[in-house]
Amino acid sequence: MSTALKDLIGNPTIAELELVARFAALKADARRLRLFEAFAQTGLPGRRIEGWRWTDFKAAVTSLDAPTTAPVRDPLARDGVATLRFTPARYTAPASLPAGLRLLAKDEVQAMGGAEDAPLGALAAALSGGKTPGTLLVEVGAGAPAHLHMVFEGPGAINAARVVFLLRPGAELHVSESHLGGAALSAALVEFTLNKGARLHRTVYQIGGASEAQAVTAIIEQDADAESFLTTLALGARIARLETRLVHCETGSKATINAAYLAGAGLQADITTHVRHGAPSCVTRQLTKGAVLDGGRGVFQGKFHVPRTSGQQTDASMQHNALLLEEGAEVFARPELEILADDVQCAHGNTSGALDAAQLFYLRQRGIPLTQARAMLTEAFIAQALEGAGELEDALRAEAQAWLNHAA
Amino acid sequence: MLKIENLTATVGEGEDAKTILNALSLAVPAGEVHAIMGPNGAGKSTLSYVLTGREGYAVTGGSATLNGADILALEPEARAAAGLFLSFQYPVEIPGVPVMTFVRTAMNAQRKARGETEISAPDFIKKSREIARVLSLDPEMLKRPVNVGFSGGEKKRLEIYQMMMLEPRFMVLDETDSGLDIDALRTVAEGVNALRAPDRGMLVITHYQRLLDYIKPDKVHVLARGRIIRTGGPELAHRLEAEGYDGVLAEAV
Repeated sequence: MSTALKDLIGNPTIAELELVARFAALKADARRLRLFEAFAQTGLPGRRIEGWRWTDFKAAVTSLDAPTTAPVRDPLARDGVATLRFTPARYTAPASLPAGLRLLAKDEVQAMGGAEDAPLGALAAALSGGKTPGTLLVEVGAGAPAHLHMVFEGPGAINAARVVFLLRPGAELHVSESHLGGAALSAALVEFTLNKGARLHRTVYQIGGASEAQAVTAIIEQDADAESFLTTLALGARIARLETRLVHCETGSKATINAAYLAGAGLQADITTHVRHGAPSCVTRQLTKGAVLDGGRGVFQGKFHVPRTSGQQTDASMQHNALLLEEGAEVFARPELEILADDVQCAHGNTSGALDAAQLFYLRQRGIPLTQARAMLTEAFIAQALEGAGELEDALRAEAQAWLNHAA
Repeated sequence: MLKIENLTATVGEGEDAKTILNALSLAVPAGEVHAIMGPNGAGKSTLSYVLTGREGYAVTGGSATLNGADILALEPEARAAAGLFLSFQYPVEIPGVPVMTFVRTAMNAQRKARGETEISAPDFIKKSREIARVLSLDPEMLKRPVNVGFSGGEKKRLEIYQMMMLEPRFMVLDETDSGLDIDALRTVAEGVNALRAPDRGMLVITHYQRLLDYIKPDKVHVLARGRIIRTGGPELAHRLEAEGYDGVLAEAV
């Protein structure tokens, strides 16, 4: 390793040195270097970096030794849906794809806009390649809705993957992603460009072990009248960040951004979103629900940025509600509306608290045991955030139920 | 059947603890319906909560048994499985939980606790349909979340629906008449009367005599300052209605 590479990250941790070594082993490429440099500005982001105060990867990722956790079942797997699989060792795709989908696995990495704002997205991009594509391009043409499933799983030390979707005008994509952990550090970057009138349904399931770090970064750009429906269920990991950065680029673009997080003891789930209303008359509806047990941590950071000139007639709402199921549960929330335009409708709400004692007693008086009553009320509490997942809603709810019954 | 002896209970903690039930004694034999009447603040609702095990009350003396078994030692859900049912004065809303799901979960939880088999879905639906008809409940209402957006009268009727579905052995009705118009009152009373049986008991807590025209009690107790100060037949309720509580309270001192 050259001295220059070592010096990329100031005062590096052992894990960061391993990341530098991993980068150095990949084929040299000017774009890859730029992406790694973007990551290196912060290194593994930690509490000193704006937006990472409660989600400290630098402190949490102490080693990149492959964990010994058993593989987990993929609740979103369906027969008949084309599935792309990313593991540290290989990438697999079906021989034939549904009509309207075109895949191009490139060795090289592609440039990434806003890499400095998403250090773990930049890291995923900089470390993709070798046994997996440097960039996987997926083009979705207009026509019947296309369905695609993606799995990101171990075993291994580092699982870095990058997929770039281009939805042509009028195209409709239903993509599901299962981020199942199994690596010491899993970093996935998924980018979507929605051309005029395109529709995206994206459903994300995340689960990770108590020694694993996971970062799922999504970057979404929407053209005129494009619409996205995003639904996430995050069960956390030692540290897990699910970050979505969405830009309404042209008039009439709409986004529904829903997420539920459930964090048990020793686990953390971070839902971070950044939405920029870069054109007039765009709509954002955001709902995040969470439930946390003793020793677990939930983080919600939501930001709407509405510029003075381009953001007029913005219609946006942000809601975050968290349940602290036990003493010792932690929830950190930072809803942020940066509204510079004057002709807008923006609303936000943020609550956190315990289960309602009167409701619990009502259920118990009817004979429902305490643990089951808690699970029922918690499931009812988060259910609304999963309603938009369409045909996958039941699968997500089943996972949430299993978690709740186990937690209780 | 239900036997309460010298029951003393407080609400609040430490120096703020306040005695609400003060050596209250009461017995309701199987097959009987007893009414408890009393002025505001007498401890009527507290009695219903202490019997069913709501948090926030501390029993500091006395006992309560159902068919000889100590109920005060049990968790609220175990008391329910033992057959104790409370029709709430203020039924709570449970967003996101449909009525049918809720009642079926409750019924099967009780059955499981008693070592019985679960009710099948068709049997449950059949039973639910019949009871909804008796109570003039819109079947659509039973698909909606528990009590969410229901009127006061609908909430009370839903309490009786649950009672008829769960077929408890002992029922406590806490101010079931409040918020009901005369037609709803009649419907609710019909439902309650249909549950009268030789092996069942009932405690009807009310502020007014009106409900007792429809649910005829075997005995009427007057509760004041945390204890039963007077017991009589149905005529006692009429006297209270005519004279107010002051006369009876004054006599008792």
